[in-house]
Amino acid sequence: MIEGLLHDQASLLNFVIFFVLAAVLLLVILGFVTYAILAERKVMGFMQMRYGPNQVGGPWGLLQTVADVLKLLLKEDTIPKLADKPLFILAPVIAFAPSFMVVATIPFTDKLQFADIGVGLLYYIAVSGLTTIGVVMAGWSSNNKFALLGGMRAAAQMISYEIPLVMSVLGVILLTGSLNLNEIVAAQENVWYILLQPIGFIVFFIASVAELNRIPFDLPEAENELIAGYFVEYSGFRWAFFMLSEYVYMFAMASLTTVLFLGGWLPLFSFLDFIPGAVWFALKFSLVIFILLWFRSTFPRIKADQLMEFGWKVLLPVALANIFLTAIIKELL
Amino acid sequence: MLRTEEMLLNVGPQHPSTHGVFRLILKIDGETIKEAKPVIGYLHRGTEKLAEDLQYTQIIPYTDRMDYVSAMTNNYVICHAVETMMGIEVPERAEFLRVMAMELGRVSSHLLWWGTFVLDLGATSPLLYAFREREMILNLLNELSGARLTFNYMRVGGVKWDAPEGWVDKVREFIPHMREQIKGYHDLVTGNEIFLNRVKGIGKYTKEDALNYSLSGPNLRCTGVKWDLRKNEPYSIYDRFNFDVPVREEGDVLSRYHVRFAEIEEALKILEQCVEQFPEEGPILAKVPKIIKAPKGEAFVRIESPRGEIGCYIASDGKKEPYRLKFRRPSFYNLQILPKLLEGESISNLIAILGAVDIILGEVDG
Amino acid sequence: MLGFGLAKGLKYTLKNLTKEKPTYDYPNKPIPLPDRFRGIQKFYPEKCIVCNQCANICPTDCIQLTGKKHPDPTKKGKVIDTYDINFEICILCDLCTEVCPTEAIVMTNNFELAEYSRDELFKNLEWLDENDENVRKVNKA
Repeated sequence: MIEGLLHDQASLLNFVIFFVLAAVLLLVILGFVTYAILAERKVMGFMQMRYGPNQVGGPWGLLQTVADVLKLLLKEDTIPKLADKPLFILAPVIAFAPSFMVVATIPFTDKLQFADIGVGLLYYIAVSGLTTIGVVMAGWSSNNKFALLGGMRAAAQMISYEIPLVMSVLGVILLTGSLNLNEIVAAQENVWYILLQPIGFIVFFIASVAELNRIPFDLPEAENELIAGYFVEYSGFRWAFFMLSEYVYMFAMASLTTVLFLGGWLPLFSFLDFIPGAVWFALKFSLVIFILLWFRSTFPRIKADQLMEFGWKVLLPVALANIFLTAIIKELL
Repeated sequence: MLRTEEMLLNVGPQHPSTHGVFRLILKIDGETIKEAKPVIGYLHRGTEKLAEDLQYTQIIPYTDRMDYVSAMTNNYVICHAVETMMGIEVPERAEFLRVMAMELGRVSSHLLWWGTFVLDLGATSPLLYAFREREMILNLLNELSGARLTFNYMRVGGVKWDAPEGWVDKVREFIPHMREQIKGYHDLVTGNEIFLNRVKGIGKYTKEDALNYSLSGPNLRCTGVKWDLRKNEPYSIYDRFNFDVPVREEGDVLSRYHVRFAEIEEALKILEQCVEQFPEEGPILAKVPKIIKAPKGEAFVRIESPRGEIGCYIASDGKKEPYRLKFRRPSFYNLQILPKLLEGESISNLIAILGAVDIILGEVDG
Repeated sequence: MLGFGLAKGLKYTLKNLTKEKPTYDYPNKPIPLPDRFRGIQKFYPEKCIVCNQCANICPTDCIQLTGKKHPDPTKKGKVIDTYDINFEICILCDLCTEVCPTEAIVMTNNFELAEYSRDELFKNLEWLDENDENVRKVNKA
């Protein structure tokens, strides 16, 4: 349907349809973020021998995040006197917009996709890199030393981990021969890439955790060192935008992991294909999210210099070796 | 033209890793610390000056609030000082109760240290696990003394309460449970490569440095100095128990971590022997006059608190209040080496080093 | 081996996911406290002999009391007139109950003292008399 619309004449109706679709996707993602935050708090709580939110919205705290968001909306919007005001206001927008843009290219099932771009993977990686600018802007414009340190750390980390991230997926691209995410999923009909590309998967997963700024790579926000890092001066809804972009990236990255390595909407075994693809996608996606939460409640934070060393001296060479290995194997078989 | 500039960074007084109101003024170049200047005194309450107007019994609740993580040792040091001056013989049963209370306090203090230290390094779960066991200890001490933190349990000449029925058995049951949990803690954190990378070889100092800076407790023993007042100058009834003084040679943050864990084990050993040897009957309070008056003169006693040597000096002119009271507060002395350790380190190391010193701001500021 | 320690940690947290939780459901259910717990004092005016020992021993000077002559002229001694504890500074150290010769002031297990105004932390004789729930059973060792 979207394919047809894309090739249609531009008209007001088309614009409205696209707008409504985007709004629906945004709502879906907001719903995900709402419950991802709840799930995070619940999973962490249970792993830490406590219950997590259990007051607002019944024993499962189902309305906790809603209440939190309402609180954030009502909070005073403070801008430091000596902040660089235009940048300060712009930063959350720049950080958030790309996170939403990348979701468009993720194929949730073979039919449910918003933009089937030929270079979908490249688009994802390129656009997600833009968020770094928002983060650095936030760190700089706050005119706060902790924010500046956090922004610098974020820039260094996100740029250095972008490279192993790209390198690790090159193996997948080599095997598929395409950058299109639909084709990548289709190529996993028989066997998932996690089995064909185990090294690539490990490098990709580590790099993606680093890209998401989550423990053990949450240095830019390192609460115990930099208080909150680049968004230390933000409050209310501007702060919420940073949080939102973080969780939308979690959504997007988990989806991308599912698509690239876990076979997307394909069933585990072919005889299980009576279960709809969307369910399979959701299951795999939830597993990835759970692992992220699990990491968060187990690991300490890595050190800044070791983070850089690990990225450049370990992950990158391993990812490069993986490319060669893949190429050789592909040539031989 | 490109140039770099040094930046002054205020860490604290309100900062998540300073564990209270401690302030560090850092001169940093990028993330490297050029100079660190600690600023203390935000929690100063003047305990020593206040004590000059208080009777000895009234001072005891004030000492609860100095090292609020292991208040039992503070209770003990003031009582011990007055008892030394007055020459009071403390009944055996009271001594056993005191030692058990102090060793339980030591375990809970080290547990809290472990939880917050690893929390500073970014792992959130260990804190909750540590609190699970700490809660059991606090419940035990609550049953014994009627409070969870500010015990006010010891009195000059003994203790306030006898052990409630079944309390000793609860302690007996707690010991194997705690040992079991420690294994889990090692699984969770001690073997973790990320953790090891953060603490190994960080914040190193030598034996000489440690002695010159008058460090004590695990901060001293991590450099290989085998000095524990419970062994070297036995007070109370510590000479009856068989335990080791854990020592490490490296002098880095990891060695302090290991020393503290080994100390938990040793404290459990002492508790085990206490439970076995606990006298069936006996008074818990020596015969002391109703109004305690230390004789004219002065006395200094020191004992081993979880953080190091806590000392108490009393100068008395024979009245019911001390003429001058002075506490040697181990956290305060242990903190002195911080500027030296921090020079040239990065901010992430700052957190590990500061955390490993194990300061309690109530004690630092007095 | 690299990553072995990480895996051990992951196993430990996963194991705890399903374990029984040791938390208290505190504001919904009252917290179980031992009998010795030191909470807000209960005061028995009829037992008080106005000996002033509690006010003297209090380390923070938070007790203020006045007595008056016994209304029955045949009896000697004093009876309590006013008795105030300032819970802004009271540290619940138990010394007042320890010195009281008649157990006129005893501890209870109540500890919830949050108020909207500092003035309300100033509790008088009537309030302390009415505070008669969960009174400590054993007061002297």
